[in-house]
Amino acid sequence: MKIPKLFRKTLFGVFFLFGVIGVSTSLLCIYTVDTHLSKEYEANSKGIAKTIADASVNILLNSNLTALQSLIDQFVEIQGVSYIYITSETGEILAHTFVPGIPEEIRAGDATSTTTVERSLPGKGDFIEVGSPILAGVAGAVHIGMDTGLIALKIQRAIGQQIYLICMIFVVGVFAAIWFVNYAAKPVDGVLTFAVELAREQSADGGTSSKLLARNDEAGDLARLFLHFSQVTDVQGTRPQSGSDRGKE
Amino acid sequence: MMPTTRRRVLQYGLTGCLMGLGSTSLGATMSSGVTDSEIVLGMSAAFSGPSRGLGIELFRGASAYFEHVNRNGGVRGRKVVLKIYDDGYQPDPAVKNTLTLMLEDEVFALFGYVGTPTVTRVLPMLKKFQERQIYLFFPFTGAQPQREPPYGAFAFNLRASYRQETAGLVQNFVDIGRRRIAVFYQADAYGRSGWAGVRQALRHYGEQIVGEATYRRGSKFTGVMREQVEILKASRPDAVICIGAYAACAAFLRDAVDLGLQVPIANVSFVGSENLLNLINQGRDDGVRYTAHLVNSQVVPSYHDTSIPAVKQYQELMALYAPSAPQELLTESYTPFSHSFVSLEGFLDAKMMVEILKRLGDRPEKGALEDAVFSITEYDLGIGEAVSFGPERRQGLQKVYYTVVDEDRFVPLYNWQNRFA
Repeated sequence: MKIPKLFRKTLFGVFFLFGVIGVSTSLLCIYTVDTHLSKEYEANSKGIAKTIADASVNILLNSNLTALQSLIDQFVEIQGVSYIYITSETGEILAHTFVPGIPEEIRAGDATSTTTVERSLPGKGDFIEVGSPILAGVAGAVHIGMDTGLIALKIQRAIGQQIYLICMIFVVGVFAAIWFVNYAAKPVDGVLTFAVELAREQSADGGTSSKLLARNDEAGDLARLFLHFSQVTDVQGTRPQSGSDRGKE
Repeated sequence: MMPTTRRRVLQYGLTGCLMGLGSTSLGATMSSGVTDSEIVLGMSAAFSGPSRGLGIELFRGASAYFEHVNRNGGVRGRKVVLKIYDDGYQPDPAVKNTLTLMLEDEVFALFGYVGTPTVTRVLPMLKKFQERQIYLFFPFTGAQPQREPPYGAFAFNLRASYRQETAGLVQNFVDIGRRRIAVFYQADAYGRSGWAGVRQALRHYGEQIVGEATYRRGSKFTGVMREQVEILKASRPDAVICIGAYAACAAFLRDAVDLGLQVPIANVSFVGSENLLNLINQGRDDGVRYTAHLVNSQVVPSYHDTSIPAVKQYQELMALYAPSAPQELLTESYTPFSHSFVSLEGFLDAKMMVEILKRLGDRPEKGALEDAVFSITEYDLGIGEAVSFGPERRQGLQKVYYTVVDEDRFVPLYNWQNRFA
């Protein structure tokens, strides 16, 4: 498809604008999804940790570690929850869901702390770990690791969907822009052809010329102007008459 | 996910049916699960999956005794019917099966459940529906929740607890100078129960668990346990106590020996000793290399010892009735053992259950179950250990036995010093 030279820059401008919109909305989307999901995950995991902490009080005070394990086994089935461990007030891990063993990073950490931390466990992935004290910390603490890989996956999905949508709009937009440019350029093409024919002292196609001269826009004005200049030139005799012109006379 | 909620009703012989029809109808309303001709008990256990051997063997042992009772007049004229469901040793199906047994089948009592993760999830339901007075009898687990408040009041146990088994193992290891003890356990309530038992027992000696490794429930023998072995090796243990099911524990034993972890490796009774040995010996000529360091605790005496009256009876009835595995619940082929610790336990569970049902009199009522159980004091079950129950004693037997493998079979261990020092 031939793009008129006059509109090429405009077309490139449109493409550039599309690019800017696509990239900026994607970046905004990444930021929004990442922030929202991270906050949501953290809030959810804190809620779960608190629920377990509240439910653990009696169990811990009765030293019923079997029931404690049974409790956390149910919560670890929630999507996004990767691991749970419960520590005593001295930091001893009393129940956990790690397989094949408790990672060294967890053992080395401050088990009594309940602040939110980001953990990277070799071979397991990256996690946001939140904690909740049991009985204000005097009975221990619950720690929950949420898989940030899942957040990353959700972000990727959201971005992927956005990029797909933008690409589709871009493709449709490109074809639409070309069609509009061509549509807009058609009268200019007509004026150009009309002017060339006048210059060659050829009689333009009657139907086309009359339609062009009848237009009530810039193209019509330009055609009438060219015709006027042509007639003025003929009257002043500055242009030799062509055979066809003579015939008309 | 394991297949669930497939069931069958076991009818123990025509004799029982005919006898039931001939019994007198009392006309008045009876407890659910009891008719003039039968008493229905409900069982949910692993009949599929890697731990199916436990459910099948427990069922076979119980079946042998119920069959015997039904063919000989039943319990005061009523035959004992066992309604069984498969839970694949998974908590959720166990909960669903229990709901069905309680609300739809309306069984008289629950009997012979298998596993800690399943039972610990079922116990709250018994409390929820406590107005129905459904008790759980003799689950195949030594965990604490069904022995302690708040759910202990809804269950009766026959076997010794994991706490007793692990305490015995720890004591024997410490006695021969093996104080650095590591634990390999199933990452669930069962594993935690055993872990807690070992921890508590070691505290008594001023020691603590030197290393621990876990595996996921449902692991198969074909699975690799090398990571777990490496973790435990790094802790330089004198002995390892395993709290698991036979497939995973056999895989661990195999990999431990292959990787040079040459220390005693102990299992508790739930492991299913014969199934474990079967897997270890599968396609091997050098099985002894793997079993030389193996020691398993048991909660019933050796099934080879026919000087014990109940064992003699068990052997006779297993041979006479040759109880089969519930074919309609099986998803994979299973070759039953002629005898096993698990089926002997099922047999003793059934024997104790029948005695309780007898004590309910001619009109069995659920409300009278607790009193019937508490009336059992110093009862001779035929294994040389008297059984007693009471409000503060919801576990009938206390004794733990230890076995090792000699000539491809489990035999009693009497001298730890000679074997493992």
